[in-house]
Amino acid sequence: MNFFKRAWLNLTAKKGRSILLILVTSAIMLFVLAGLLIRNAADSATSNAKRSVGATVTLSANRAAAFKQMRSRSSTSKTSRPKLTTSPVKLSDAKQIAQLNNIASYSATVSTSANATGFDAISTSGNSSTSGGMGMKGGSTSGSGDIAISGVTSTSSTPAFEEKSSKMTKGRGITTSDEGTNHVVIESELAKQDNLSVGDSIKLKATTGTKKTYTMTIVGIYKASSSTSTQQGPGATDPSNSVYTSYTFANTVKGSKYQNTADSVTFKVSNPAKVSAVKTAGKKLINTSKYSLTTNDSSYQTVKASMANVKSFADKIVWLVTIAGTIILALIVILMIRERRYEIGVLLSLGEARWKIVAQFFVEMVMVLVVSIAVAGVGGKFVGNQLGQQLVSQQATTATTSSTATQTKGGQPGVGGSAPSGNRKPSDNMSGAPGSHTSGTTTQKQAELDVSVTVFDLVELGGFGLAIMFLSIMLAAGGILRLQPKKVLID
Amino acid sequence: MLKTTDLGYWYDRQENSLFEHVNLEFKSGTSYAIVGQSGSGKTTFLSLLAGLDKPRAGQIELNGEPINKIGLNNYRKSHVAIVFQSYNLFNYMSPLNNLLTAMAVTDSSHRGDKAFAAAMLHKLGITDAQMTKNVQKLSGGQQQRVAIARTMVCDAKLVVADEPTGNLDEENTKYVIEQFQRIAHDQHKCVIIVTHESDVAKACDHSYRLAKHEFALEG
Ligand SMILES: Nc1ncnc2c1ncn2[C@@H]1O[C@H](COP(=O)(O)OP(=O)(O)O)[C@@H](O)[C@H]1O
Ligand SMILES: [Mg+2]
Repeated sequence: MNFFKRAWLNLTAKKGRSILLILVTSAIMLFVLAGLLIRNAADSATSNAKRSVGATVTLSANRAAAFKQMRSRSSTSKTSRPKLTTSPVKLSDAKQIAQLNNIASYSATVSTSANATGFDAISTSGNSSTSGGMGMKGGSTSGSGDIAISGVTSTSSTPAFEEKSSKMTKGRGITTSDEGTNHVVIESELAKQDNLSVGDSIKLKATTGTKKTYTMTIVGIYKASSSTSTQQGPGATDPSNSVYTSYTFANTVKGSKYQNTADSVTFKVSNPAKVSAVKTAGKKLINTSKYSLTTNDSSYQTVKASMANVKSFADKIVWLVTIAGTIILALIVILMIRERRYEIGVLLSLGEARWKIVAQFFVEMVMVLVVSIAVAGVGGKFVGNQLGQQLVSQQATTATTSSTATQTKGGQPGVGGSAPSGNRKPSDNMSGAPGSHTSGTTTQKQAELDVSVTVFDLVELGGFGLAIMFLSIMLAAGGILRLQPKKVLID
Repeated sequence: MLKTTDLGYWYDRQENSLFEHVNLEFKSGTSYAIVGQSGSGKTTFLSLLAGLDKPRAGQIELNGEPINKIGLNNYRKSHVAIVFQSYNLFNYMSPLNNLLTAMAVTDSSHRGDKAFAAAMLHKLGITDAQMTKNVQKLSGGQQQRVAIARTMVCDAKLVVADEPTGNLDEENTKYVIEQFQRIAHDQHKCVIIVTHESDVAKACDHSYRLAKHEFALEG
């Protein structure tokens, strides 16, 4: 393989030309690498988003079907006032769905309300007393008590706590171990006003159902961020009047027929891409005329869409630079071959095979490429970071705008009772306190575009570089293959 | 060893042929000079013998085998060594690497033998210091000696040279001709030298003159 040695001798003897070649190739490789880095970063950010931006499937009463039923009943019997009857979700159904693939966890929500007894609820000025109608969760028999009770499986699995718009400040949150107990978690404003702390007891009087008075033990105090209060509709009480109990307690308040039920059950889907598959599988397990499964993967979709934009842009960069680089290098190689006609003529006069002459040029370019990739690897981190930052700030702006739009829509008063379009859980709208939209966290996650040069990136870059070199040499090889040694050597 | 049969060549039209029906024989162990006026077609004839171009008519046989059957590339690789007026060395290599490269490309029996290449260069008066620096740093005469040494390290039994002394002074010319004689007589090769210098022609064993489209034996 004498052409390897010739390639080496040529590159080392003509140092100036070799350095120029390395500089040009490094520049081209740097651009390709920048494109590859952004594309790979967008890829991994999308898969990170898949894991961290949760998607959920919610099992709740099928209100659309219930309305239909009500209308048909009211048309036949004109004697009684039409009544909307929806069935609470059975926990046994929920447990079955939880067995499906890709379900990470589930949590039940039961909303009701009760009146504060022996302590004062926070009254917001302008808070109308006609509460109960508009912001209410449909189908529940909760009355218009001044304390909104969110019965949950665990507070940590509620959107408000997950998105950190609510935080535990004292004591602990509600967990599954609180099932069957009268433990309660109250908001810090309420605690401050009534001078309550962890371990104290409060009394709640059910406004419907049993109308009994329950003695509750405070196990924790949470703080809701003030911004969430903008979320509530006019029908809700002050967000600070929202308390969390185990869902079993909320069911007790609502009455014995609500045992082992929930207003809704939210399933966390481990892989957001599988949301619709989970929904389809889940529908087979439930009575769809009574219950509905609704999905919410909007955060995931937002992240996915914006990352897809970054990725397609990066793809374009990679291809554009690859094509431009091939053309530039092909021209350089063609010029180089013209300059080296004489050398090629001597080789031909010695009887060297033409393909070995082409191979020599290829080896020379590959040697240049290896050095250039090292140079590009050093510079690539910097260029990739700059470009990545630029792109993310652009994309984040778009994403925030779009998710703000969703939020406004979902937060409108009265819409809350219907299918959870923008918000995660129907119950959020009733209490007002837990639950806000996810736009804030979504944007943060996008900003984490990790642009670092890995060995894999360099290998991928090498692949592109080799392809560029191969194409350039092939384009220029015609000059070598057509060259007549007589013309070169004798004129 | 080399025989031309009815060899003919023209560039554009047959009426303007440089030569036709050339029947010559070149033997190994012998040196031949080809003389003639400038533009008579000496270089063209030599390029046919060297396998750098195909004849328009007739054929060339090497030891009875037509060279187009051997394949011109193979023929150049294994059977013929060429020396030009302009030396034709790899300008990015040292004299030693020029020889080693030629030995590798032509699959010489001495392939890779650095000591052998160095000995040949020594024989032609190239010093150790000159051997390893870039060939372009040598004088014209020294470069031509390197080109001649290159023919000596390759196995080719036929050596053709086109005006090898064209760029050399009198002293170097004499030296180069002596070397060609030694290649013919000591290495038992067939040496064919195109020249317009009568001194060079006289030094060769035989000489042909190309005039009026024909080759005539002069001495
Ligand atoms: N490539 C070519 N195309 C056309 N005519 C050529 C070409 N090369 C040489 N000739 C012509 O052929 C003739 C012989 O050229 P050449 O063999 O170089 O002669 P010499 O070596 O004896 O001086 C000249 O008249 C020259 O002009
Ligand atoms: Mg000539």
